[in-house]
Amino acid sequence: MPGIDECLLETMRLPGARGAALVDWTSGLALGTVGDPPGGDHETAAAEAAELARLAAEQHAFGPGDGTDALDPPVEDLILSNRDSYHVLRFVPTSFDSSVFLYLWLARADGNLALARIRLGEMAERLVLG
Amino acid sequence: MVGTTPPPRLPVRDRATAHQRVGAGVSPMLTRLAEERATGVLDREHGTLHLAEGRVVHAESPLAPGLAELLTAHGTLAAEAWRDAEDSEDEGRLVRYGVTPGALELAQVGALYDAAYFALAPSSTPGRFRYGAAHWLASVHPVPVAALEREMLRRRALLRRIWPDPATDGAPLVRADPVAAPAVPTRQAAVLERVDGVRRAVDIARELGRPAFHTLVHIRRLAAAGLVAPQPPPAPDPPPADIAADPYVALLKRVRDALEAL
Repeated sequence: MPGIDECLLETMRLPGARGAALVDWTSGLALGTVGDPPGGDHETAAAEAAELARLAAEQHAFGPGDGTDALDPPVEDLILSNRDSYHVLRFVPTSFDSSVFLYLWLARADGNLALARIRLGEMAERLVLG
Repeated sequence: MVGTTPPPRLPVRDRATAHQRVGAGVSPMLTRLAEERATGVLDREHGTLHLAEGRVVHAESPLAPGLAELLTAHGTLAAEAWRDAEDSEDEGRLVRYGVTPGALELAQVGALYDAAYFALAPSSTPGRFRYGAAHWLASVHPVPVAALEREMLRRRALLRRIWPDPATDGAPLVRADPVAAPAVPTRQAAVLERVDGVRRAVDIARELGRPAFHTLVHIRRLAAAGLVAPQPPPAPDPPPADIAADPYVALLKRVRDALEAL
């Protein structure tokens, strides 16, 4: 998969996908956005999702049970649900010290959460590993 | 009775438009270059922006690790491989050396926003633009000038919100070791370990191979937690040790410093 935009467009092919973004969780910058913005504005949504991702990534309690923090961050993904949609955040592991995650906004009526999780994981990997 | 004309009304700054003026342009020159779709290099006091057809395609600053440092620091790319690609100005070579297009784009756009933060910081000297050829990495991830300027203002506000005193951004840093130290997350801990009274934020960013702005964010969080402080100028007479060790006094002093910095 070539780049950020291709990765996001691929994400939007998931059934029920409303919007997607690639966000840096240290700065809150949206490196790319596609589709509808949750809450009406992509930049604000990215900054708020970044704050949530940072909190999850920085807590030791959310790491794996064996206590090894080999991966940075130790968290794989975050799922947040409300009455009509899911927000799925998937951390992207990179070989350089970056802090980005894929952010998918998924309609609850026609989205498939399990499928979305698997796909986001695959796409996060392909984005950096090719 | 002598008639006098009333004094002219004092000019009042319209707050709404004043705010718009500030928000409208970090650099009026950059806005103009974007409008005329210029290609070339904009040199500013704290860094350089490369433009191609009015969009920013690359940025460098002495205050931020460059793309080469970000990619080589963690072994994503060998230093010789970077030099070879840079000497031949061939983006394709980076990919052949094993940097995937996605990883290159992530690293390049990260380095661009990072260096631009310093390049677009308020400066005391005017910028200089040289028209010329586009940078060899111009096609990786061009950023519209308006988006870049909006992000710069957002970043300044983000730092201010974490901890209002900018002194830790440029000064050598010292550990403050408060009495009841809070737990420090992994990435901040890596920064804290390197605080030794000599290193500045940019030195720590280089050593970690991490964007400088990210390091500023971590250091402001550490400063807000009372763990890091800028190296103070030589103090005339230090306060008695028992007062400095009192956690409430230490907290009050940090609150005072923060209020003064607002």
